[in-house]
Amino acid sequence: MSKNENVVSTAKSEWIKFRTVNSTIVGIALLFFLTIGFSLLITLVLRAHWDQSTRIDKLTFDPVSTSLVGVFFAQFAVGVIGVLFISAEYSSGSIRTTLAAVPNRVRLVTGKVIVLFGSMFIVCEVVTFVTFLMGQAVFSGVVPTASLSSGSVLRAVILTGVYLALLTLLGFALGLILRQSAASISVFVVILLIVPLISLSFPESWRNDIERFELGNLWTSMASTTTPSHLFTAWSAFAALVIYVVAFLAAGTVLLQTRDA
Amino acid sequence: MLKIDHLTKRYKDTTALDDLDFEVKPGVVTGFLGPNGSGKTTTMRLILGLDHPTKGRATIDGLNYADLKAPLREVGALLDAKAVHPGRTARNHLRALATSNQIPKARVDEVLEFVGIASVAHKKVGSYSLGMSQRLGIAGALLGDPGVLLFDEPVNGLDPEGIKWIRDFFRSLAKEGRTVFVSSHLMSEMAVSADQIIVIGRGRFITQGSVDDLTATAQGTVFVRVSDPPQLVSLVKNHNGTVEEMNDGNLTIGGLTSDQIGGIAFNAGITVLELTPQRASLEDVFMDLTADSLEFGSSKPETAHHE
Repeated sequence: MSKNENVVSTAKSEWIKFRTVNSTIVGIALLFFLTIGFSLLITLVLRAHWDQSTRIDKLTFDPVSTSLVGVFFAQFAVGVIGVLFISAEYSSGSIRTTLAAVPNRVRLVTGKVIVLFGSMFIVCEVVTFVTFLMGQAVFSGVVPTASLSSGSVLRAVILTGVYLALLTLLGFALGLILRQSAASISVFVVILLIVPLISLSFPESWRNDIERFELGNLWTSMASTTTPSHLFTAWSAFAALVIYVVAFLAAGTVLLQTRDA
Repeated sequence: MLKIDHLTKRYKDTTALDDLDFEVKPGVVTGFLGPNGSGKTTTMRLILGLDHPTKGRATIDGLNYADLKAPLREVGALLDAKAVHPGRTARNHLRALATSNQIPKARVDEVLEFVGIASVAHKKVGSYSLGMSQRLGIAGALLGDPGVLLFDEPVNGLDPEGIKWIRDFFRSLAKEGRTVFVSSHLMSEMAVSADQIIVIGRGRFITQGSVDDLTATAQGTVFVRVSDPPQLVSLVKNHNGTVEEMNDGNLTIGGLTSDQIGGIAFNAGITVLELTPQRASLEDVFMDLTADSLEFGSSKPETAHHE
């Protein structure tokens, strides 16, 4: 019986690596803390001041996205988790040990993506569901609430978890391309925060066309129960995000194959 | 068997390896000797498929490294002992490695025990000394019980006891019929731990042979003590010999054999008190061979003497 390395053994090995470093544990703890903490803070403040809200505020109020506001912070936590999963291998030099054990670069990336997306999908769904339910509990009795029994609400909550899990992969892909923790995290933050600021300087007529492609607006689309007129629908936004992630991963994999390790 | 087949590696405008071509046979410890910066590590990296060769290839039993079905079961390598995630424990590091090549978990504890770090296997690698990291690296190389073993500067950071241990260990690996390829910039180390030696300098092959072969190629000197040193000195010079050293009538003579010197002294009526041929050390040979190829040459070649 010959036992060869294959994508399953690669994924199992990467799973051991993923769960045996502190940065993963700390990152996930931070993800829970930031998402739940900020959502709790903001929903409590909202409930306390609901009486003073204007009529227009009340009319445009969305209990789903408002309860998930902490996800804004979660984006950075998942990005860092994704980046470090590969960049730490470069900073420590262990990438060479890894590649000696798994010389097939495509298989290595596939194994890492399976582990990262699989585990972070579960973690991110748990954190978004907990945050959503907590928010509705805070709102209940005072502020209008949303229920998971509504199809569009359920979709919004699930897709928010998917958004975060895919963002982890985007961070991973940046780490694969740049091979350096600080640089990768910086670029991730630039894409998330600075690109939307730059687009503000474009003429109004272009902005609607450009802004819908920004990561934050993809999330807005994916997390909304209705479709804002100037943005993508939830599923189109999901498709756009998948295309980004696949494109970055493909670029990273090609670089991994062609560059010296 | 490990075969380096006309391997050339260029980085932008520097040539790290220049048409390097040799074979490493199983059953013996093969030393890979060269000054710092001569391309030893680059060669190891190319064997493992970490870097891409500009020309040529390195094969293991005829296969490129990337084509090995379970690479850790065929080739074990220790390149940089510190290249391990500092936040992971030694056992978890090895378990991840073993799992990737479907090596049973029990083997992890076996190799940890063998290299003598089982008691600290639950500690994070970041807290390890260089010597402990070297042992962990060796454990990683042994994990798949491979037939080919590569070690890049393995004695660095080991204490004398560790060095003794690793020499015996290389011999036993070779005795089991494995290919053992060990790089070093220390000829004195290679002289005692390797059977065969391959010498490179500036990325080029210089020579290959056993320790005896290499020292035989170099001319030794002869130590002489005589009744009338000044007379012998002038006679030696007449016979195209050189006096390398002279103090208190003790002469070290080069360029002539002990037989010739004995004859010269006899004919001149000089009493010979002592006459000892001295073999060139491997270190002298190495210095001669690589003198032209030192990348970072200094007036005193310190690399040759530091240990």
